[in-house]
Amino acid sequence: MFGILASDFLKIRRKMIWFLIFLGPIGVLSLQAVNFTLRYEYLTDLYKADLWGGLMNNVTMLAVPTIFIGLAIITSMIANIEHQTNSWKQVLALPISKFSVFTAKFTLGLILLFVSSTLLGLGTIILGLVLKFGSSIPYLELLKIIYYPYFAVMPFIALQIWLAITYKNQATALTIGIIGTVVSMYAVIFPDWVPYKWPTLENQWGEPLYSVGFGLLVGLLIYLMGLLDFIRRDVK
Amino acid sequence: MIKVFQSEFLKLKKSSIWLLIFVSPLLSTLVGIGEAFVGDSNEEEWLITLSIMSYIHALLFLPLLTGVFSAFVCRYEHVGGGWKQLLALPVSRGNIYSVKFLLVIMLLALTQLLFTVGVLSVGFIKGYNEAIPVGEILKSVMGGWIACMPLAALQMFVSVAWSSFAAPLAINVIFTLPNILVVNSAKYGPYSPWAQPFLAMMPRFDESFGALNVPPETLFIVIFGSFALFFLSGFTYFQRKEI
Repeated sequence: MFGILASDFLKIRRKMIWFLIFLGPIGVLSLQAVNFTLRYEYLTDLYKADLWGGLMNNVTMLAVPTIFIGLAIITSMIANIEHQTNSWKQVLALPISKFSVFTAKFTLGLILLFVSSTLLGLGTIILGLVLKFGSSIPYLELLKIIYYPYFAVMPFIALQIWLAITYKNQATALTIGIIGTVVSMYAVIFPDWVPYKWPTLENQWGEPLYSVGFGLLVGLLIYLMGLLDFIRRDVK
Repeated sequence: MIKVFQSEFLKLKKSSIWLLIFVSPLLSTLVGIGEAFVGDSNEEEWLITLSIMSYIHALLFLPLLTGVFSAFVCRYEHVGGGWKQLLALPVSRGNIYSVKFLLVIMLLALTQLLFTVGVLSVGFIKGYNEAIPVGEILKSVMGGWIACMPLAALQMFVSVAWSSFAAPLAINVIFTLPNILVVNSAKYGPYSPWAQPFLAMMPRFDESFGALNVPPETLFIVIFGSFALFFLSGFTYFQRKEI
């Protein structure tokens, strides 16, 4: 299992994937840096009760759609390594189970997005310090806004990796990812059971942990369904 | 040129990509129907609907779809080593590039047409009393279409250059996502080619926000300037590219 994961890490070298993993958080933060520098007086006045909270709100506002589109692109690139060289057959001819192959790809996606989320958290701290928001950094809140959406978006990571692996034509996976991104921007108005709403962490109970719980549960379910399908599917 | 177009059209018909032209108009129509705006709803009800739907359609969907279309018309050549076979035919590279670009533009035009149908049907379903502001709707739809051309040109360039499907799309996303912030800025919004579809499609009200207050002349300079730059660089690149 670890061997396969290690080989997957090798395969993504020089594929621009790491570049995108860094670019996501850097892009979000530099946009917010521009936003806050240009309107420093206005925004610091608007959020004067809770400067860090204001910054974190603005960061998540951009981060959620970025995570949605980012995970679609990253999973597609991960799966496309095999599609492009027609090497699914070779990979599956190795003495390893289909379970491990699928799980390794899924885990790779999870790890990459985890790295991206962590970078976003670290970057937010740096940005806040540069903007002179004081040294009373709300670490706990920061951890929540960084990792809660990451867990709540799990169903989509599972879905996209399955789509990207199953359909050779990456337009399918990427289009569904794009639709998801646009839908996620208006997701707050949806009823609570819609998965697109979970990464926004809004629900009628006012408890973000419920969104996280739903996300993890449904994510696991979709992963298992994708796995079953991958195991039974004929590889051309 | 017409023959090349026909053959490209045939390839397109066999793929399911044209289904994508329905996605965004359909979603924005649903939102248009679902949205119940309050206040003095008798005034400018068409324009309010148009702006709600444009918000969904043009802020992210349209620029991103432009990228998908461009990547797709190059995909079937990248996948089966089709570039070589295509260029071995007695057709010029310039023709092939222009035809592929035209195809993307055509798909976008169909999308815009469906969007118009969407706007009109929302109006009829809700039974608006006001006369249909034909001029405003046409201006919005045509403007959005023209504003997509620079993006289509750039995406053709990167799609031809890279065989991966996701890479050109990543470029597109990198420039399109900032739209969420950029369109609010009166200073920078007008100069971002990726914000143009949105700026062109939003109907103007008396009190508009951000970059919407910019005179159309500025926008046209940005659109045509970036189009010329992107199209010519892509065109020259394809002429010299080693296949």
